[in-house]
Amino acid sequence: MKARVVALGDVLKIVDVLRGRGYEVLAPFYGRGRDSYFDTVTEENRGRVQIHLPNPYYPPKRFVFPHIERLMRVRGRNGEMQIEPSYEEPRRALFGIRSCDVAGLWHLDRFYLGRDFRDVYYEKRRKNLFLVNVVCTDPARDIGEDCFCLCADTGPAARDHFDLQLMDLGEREFMAVAGTPAGEELFSEPLFGKATAAHLERRRAILAEVRKRFQATTSWFPATVRYVSQGAILDSTWEEIGKRCLECGGCTYVCPACTCFTVSDRQVGPEEVERVRIWDSCALSGFTRMAGGFNPRRAVHDRRNRRFFRKLAQYFIQRELAMACVGCGRCAAVCHGDIGMPSVVEMIRREAPETPKNEPAPH
Amino acid sequence: MNPPHTENIYLPKLAVLDRVVDDIPEVKTFYWRFEDPSAQEQFKHFRPGQFAQVSLFGVGEFPASLPPSPTEEETFFTIRQVGSCTSALHQLKPRDKFAVRGPYGNGFPMEDYQGMNLTFVAGGIGLIPLRSCIVYALRHRTRYGRIQVFYGAKTPGELMYMPDLGAWEKSGGMECHLTVDRAADGWTGHVGVVGSLFKKAGVDVPVDNTIAFVCGPPVMFRFVIKDLLALGFKEHRIVSTLERYMKCGVGKCGHCCIGVAYICVDGPVFTYEQIKRLGEDI
Repeated sequence: MKARVVALGDVLKIVDVLRGRGYEVLAPFYGRGRDSYFDTVTEENRGRVQIHLPNPYYPPKRFVFPHIERLMRVRGRNGEMQIEPSYEEPRRALFGIRSCDVAGLWHLDRFYLGRDFRDVYYEKRRKNLFLVNVVCTDPARDIGEDCFCLCADTGPAARDHFDLQLMDLGEREFMAVAGTPAGEELFSEPLFGKATAAHLERRRAILAEVRKRFQATTSWFPATVRYVSQGAILDSTWEEIGKRCLECGGCTYVCPACTCFTVSDRQVGPEEVERVRIWDSCALSGFTRMAGGFNPRRAVHDRRNRRFFRKLAQYFIQRELAMACVGCGRCAAVCHGDIGMPSVVEMIRREAPETPKNEPAPH
Repeated sequence: MNPPHTENIYLPKLAVLDRVVDDIPEVKTFYWRFEDPSAQEQFKHFRPGQFAQVSLFGVGEFPASLPPSPTEEETFFTIRQVGSCTSALHQLKPRDKFAVRGPYGNGFPMEDYQGMNLTFVAGGIGLIPLRSCIVYALRHRTRYGRIQVFYGAKTPGELMYMPDLGAWEKSGGMECHLTVDRAADGWTGHVGVVGSLFKKAGVDVPVDNTIAFVCGPPVMFRFVIKDLLALGFKEHRIVSTLERYMKCGVGKCGHCCIGVAYICVDGPVFTYEQIKRLGEDI
């Protein structure tokens, strides 16, 4: 992958270049406090785009998989009925997407576009999405106390699946790395200068230092994957986890790798119905409830078990080539019961040695 | 045949209701065809055991098994009125429109069962998905060994497809054993759970070289599996079709995922051996 160097003062000009090329650019901004969000860059807010800031709660997956998305419109009644699919094919660039979220998008790509069926709605939104990844290098602003991309092997610097990657090298310089031909094509702009061996050395040194600044450690991830896959986790551990679940669904809504949705019809006019899909959550009790009321996954802890099984079981990892957890830490930050991914891994670690079959027996 | 990959997987095609036939209380059979004849042509190559998504616009969409065999001319659904979508379907009159997409799922590998005996064990409306296999097997009668149907319902009035069952048995292609939990209406046949039919005088279930199809409510399923294993059936020779709350039917919405399997794309047909390994209760 080719690298260039951009001066600090020129970094945000990349946003202008992309806008000039017809992209709607989405970039992170500060809200009223430390909260942050992605929004469309306009003439008015252009100066407030941030490079270093906490990763927004609301993950950028909504730009390819909106919270509510219309699938089709049905006009007319019994006589003449017409079904029209509703497609959106925006030309968008995501500026400042973090490495964890790049991995999240890649996961969605494999899920929605892989296997037997391709999701055409996702495909159309994804096709023209240009990704400018920013590497988290500032421990105070970029790295939250719940971030664990190191353990999920997705960051702090994404290794692939971005078009362009920017990394703050200090000394008012950024390194730009092209991940795709489209990204490399941007290097024709006069903003980009030559990168030297010294720049690469600085990149390595900064990354080595940044890796030490992550606070959340889920060092038991691999063991947890094995235990979950083998069904070796005690029911009492899941029950403990289930007791702390408030069934709000927050963890799934903020997860950049969660894919579930429900489909709902709504009347929008006297002779018009639209069918929409809406994010759904395996934490909610209605998720598996069938018509007639039978619910195969009734207990809260069965539903929590489900979430972690789906994310960590070896079977799905093989099928999708990675865990459905990218280490962004949002579930940990949002969960009122403190059963985000790092806590669950920790609870499993604490309980695992007490598995009766591992206990020595007196003779 | 599943729809080609380039299509919009969520887009149903308009269908016209032809006629409605009452089966048992709350259950009706809806004969329909696609408005577009080419869609009908494409659809009719489904496999026994596959399912379709039925749309009632303004209410929603639900998965429905395909009771017809691909060897039959007409397409129809047999549906119990249980939720909002099925109730809306039950309100429809002939010539009313709704929409269908599919067929989806793996279906029963009927070709693989050539040369084998087929034992169908059904409870209640569990006969609906198995009807397709029975008709298919009778149509290709020489390919299969003995064909047996063991079928039970709560009361005689709740036995599905009675005229069909009678006709099939009369044709001499299969034997049919019926039972009810509670006799009524002058019922003179067997009374007891489905599994009790296996021990009925004069009944012998071939175990070697036999595939057992089991479909019915969860309780019936558990007991019948026990009975079949006791008879000596191997776990991979017992097949069933599972159902779950489902939104998309194509492995995306996540609702029907049990353990490691998406019922809609990896199933709905599983062997008992696979069901045991799903990693979650069915």
